[in-house]
Amino acid sequence: MKPELLLSVDTKQRFSLDPRTKLYMLLIFSIVMIDGKTDGISFWLKPALSLLPFLLLLSGRRRKAAAIYLSVFCVSWITNLFLLDYLGTAAKIIVSLLTQLGMRWFPGAMMGYYLLSTTKVSEFVLAMQRMHIPEAFIIPFSVMFRFFPTISEEAESIGNAMRMRGITGKKFFKNPQAVLEYRIVPFMMSVVTIGNDLSAAALTRGLGNGKKRTSICKIGFHWKDLALMLVVTAVLLVFLFFSGGLK
Amino acid sequence: MIELKNVSFQYEQGNSKGKIENIDLTIHDGEVVLLCGESGCGKTTLTRLMNGLIPHYYEGTLTGQMIVEGIDVKNVSLYALSGVVGSVFQNPRTQFFTVDTTSEIAFGCENLGIDAEEINSRMEKTVSALKIRDLLNRSLFALSGGEKQKIACASVSAMEPKIFVLDEPSSNLDIESIRELKNVLREWKAQGKTIVIAEHRLYYLMDIADRVLYMTDGHIKENLPIADFRKKTTDELQSLGLRALQSEDFSRMKGAVGATRQLYIRDFEAAYKNASGGRKQKQKVLDIPDLMIPQGSVVGVVGNNGAGKTSFANNLCGLFQTAKGCMSMEGKTYMAGQRMKICYMVMQDVNHQLFTESVLDEILLSLDNADEEKAILEAEKIMESLHISEFREAHPMSLSGGQKQRVAIASAVASGKQIIVFDEPTSGLDYRHMKEVAENLRELSSLGKTLFIVTHDPELIAECCNYFVFIEKGKVLWSDGWNRISRERLQRFFAFEGD
Amino acid sequence: MDKKKLNAKDFINIGIFTVIYFVMFFITGMMGYIPIFAVIIPLGLGILGGIPFMLFLTKTGKFGAATIMGTLVSVLCFLMGQSWISIPFGIVFGFLADLIFHAGKYKNWKYTVLGYCVFTEWVIGSMLPMWIMRDTFFAAYRNNGGTDEYIDAVMNLTANWMLPVVIVLGVVGAVIGAYLGRAILKKHFVKAGIV
Repeated sequence: MKPELLLSVDTKQRFSLDPRTKLYMLLIFSIVMIDGKTDGISFWLKPALSLLPFLLLLSGRRRKAAAIYLSVFCVSWITNLFLLDYLGTAAKIIVSLLTQLGMRWFPGAMMGYYLLSTTKVSEFVLAMQRMHIPEAFIIPFSVMFRFFPTISEEAESIGNAMRMRGITGKKFFKNPQAVLEYRIVPFMMSVVTIGNDLSAAALTRGLGNGKKRTSICKIGFHWKDLALMLVVTAVLLVFLFFSGGLK
Repeated sequence: MIELKNVSFQYEQGNSKGKIENIDLTIHDGEVVLLCGESGCGKTTLTRLMNGLIPHYYEGTLTGQMIVEGIDVKNVSLYALSGVVGSVFQNPRTQFFTVDTTSEIAFGCENLGIDAEEINSRMEKTVSALKIRDLLNRSLFALSGGEKQKIACASVSAMEPKIFVLDEPSSNLDIESIRELKNVLREWKAQGKTIVIAEHRLYYLMDIADRVLYMTDGHIKENLPIADFRKKTTDELQSLGLRALQSEDFSRMKGAVGATRQLYIRDFEAAYKNASGGRKQKQKVLDIPDLMIPQGSVVGVVGNNGAGKTSFANNLCGLFQTAKGCMSMEGKTYMAGQRMKICYMVMQDVNHQLFTESVLDEILLSLDNADEEKAILEAEKIMESLHISEFREAHPMSLSGGQKQRVAIASAVASGKQIIVFDEPTSGLDYRHMKEVAENLRELSSLGKTLFIVTHDPELIAECCNYFVFIEKGKVLWSDGWNRISRERLQRFFAFEGD
Repeated sequence: MDKKKLNAKDFINIGIFTVIYFVMFFITGMMGYIPIFAVIIPLGLGILGGIPFMLFLTKTGKFGAATIMGTLVSVLCFLMGQSWISIPFGIVFGFLADLIFHAGKYKNWKYTVLGYCVFTEWVIGSMLPMWIMRDTFFAAYRNNGGTDEYIDAVMNLTANWMLPVVIVLGVVGAVIGAYLGRAILKKHFVKAGIV
């Protein structure tokens, strides 16, 4: 993943969805998939649901990610259900832990990846405004995404400086506090300074007086959004109804 | 119109840095005013009074009246001023709020609550006026410094303020980008806007500015129409601590390139995977098969931004994870990883390489000597030679830019490494400080070290370089000491006129 | 600008410090993907998070800051695919921390440490699925005819008494982190004049 979370520029999307739809799907995923049941209705419902991120990733042209996702999920699912018995106890523990991760957490993570890699920051901000989330949350949120790449740049540069001055991992054991200090302090100072500059530039351009911000982005619900939301809601209801609640 | 009546200000920090005293000033509509002076004279403070950052963002004691377009700055919020005064700052990297160019240009307008249709039409106007159509819809992280600065200008321009206030906007830019910045200013002047610009690099403003204000110690010492200011000789300017107005004259430069030992560089290569539009291509950022440098010289690494100078410097020091190629010196060959042991880089952003809580500790860190007493003695000697002994116990981050840089140089000396690389050591420095840096570099060279200086600063080059490597598109176009051909080439590259 | 309430400059700072805090969370979280070591997460997060958090309080010591940070950090977790359960935890513990800080007027050291301890406990929300996982895991396993010794082994690793242990570790980590943060703050940020 590039250090930029969330998209920054328009790439041609064959299948664009409103950010709120993606959020809703992620929510449903997180409820249904993280649950651990594999019997009864879950047996076929979950794999069916898990196809969704795969298809979405394909539509978002993330072919490599889609392929990785599909293979990991299938391997985990099959191993967990059918192959565990053939292993010794110790191996069973380790392997089952891994497959649990692959089955329960990974689909949600992939759904999240889909959201992050196909949504522009400005679209997401607008979606939040439409959801009436207060500015107190929106401003920090957009600052966060603006900062991720910057943070990796700063960290890299400081890391280079550290290596050049001989402050490496080997010294860590002689003086752990020092190395921690050297890693974190210049980083934080740098980030604070950047934050000050950023604030000045944003404030002189009118940020934050409580007035409603407009946006040049366009988002909205189309039939594909409604269709998808209906589908996942149906899945959720079926799941809850037939498996007797969450565990 | 901007009016300042008997304005005095001191920052809360209390150390009277950058303060101003009893300023009376009127700037009329459509005027382009240049504020200049040595570091700490108060020119940045003055700009902050005009866009409201003082008193609404920077705290301190303020007296007097500031009236901008009929508005009393003290009584209104920054928000109210943002529609009237547009501000552009020094550092292109830290000004942008969004992650893509289109959103950034719309940012200010969106804050003002202007409706989408109007914003789009304004953006269209701005984009054609500033000629930045090719920069639309791109990631801000992928732009060069100059391009980012243009977007910053576009962003405030779209808000259609009456006044533009710029604080050293050209500090981090190369000559090409400065030309483009100049075009933006020209455009704004043609639109009848009022422009106030605080600067060190004065040359590019000589045919745009109407008036020049020279400041010292918080006062306006001289207030001249541009024609009078241009009459000042280079000597006069230097005594005022200002940078030159004319292109540097290299015709009298001579180099002592009689070095008997050489440094050989082979197969420096670096490539970045350039994922643009889904197709991944490897773009060669650096491609130097062969290069010879006389040992002990002060090498100026010159070229446009993006040409590969920084990649060259990073590769030289072995800082790239995938650095390739080798360097041989004094009979030994150094591969990438080993180069870090003999090279030291003083980075452009000095803040990234100061780690400790006192200048003395910072130098001791580089000395890495088990014998503490000996180490302290050596550190003292080094601090003496760089005039930073008085800051012995001070925290490096509390020092000024120039002082921090001297601390970084001290660490470089303390490291004892033979090759020291400087990345833009004089960007944003006034004349006096540039001379000091040049002096330090000359002294380092006299210790027998080989110095590489990545720079855009022609005055610095004239002061201390005696060998050059000109890089373009990742390749070395030419490398040589001072001779007729190189002088001509450098003259042409750094020429101010002929825009 | 309103000095007592959160303003735009504060929001920007909150965003910045949330990112730094999140990076600390991510680093400690990497240790936790092996469920056995997951118990260390609150300890690590408390310690590593202390430095940015203490600086954060000095720069943005106003009511609401911790709530927003707690919410945003947990939302980020959610966006990365973790359970939605972290979000209510983030909001609630962030808010509780805010209340405690406010009671100490953001200056009283004891209140600060206490508030930070409470804040750190949000991370339990993101770890909760582990225990939830456990129950269904065994149900499914028994259905497929697993052996008792295996179940015993895993039970020991993720026993019910783990929860209080994790909470305590969180407190320990937070206390260490708070003192560490304050020490570094004095040594560097105050001395450099940044605070």
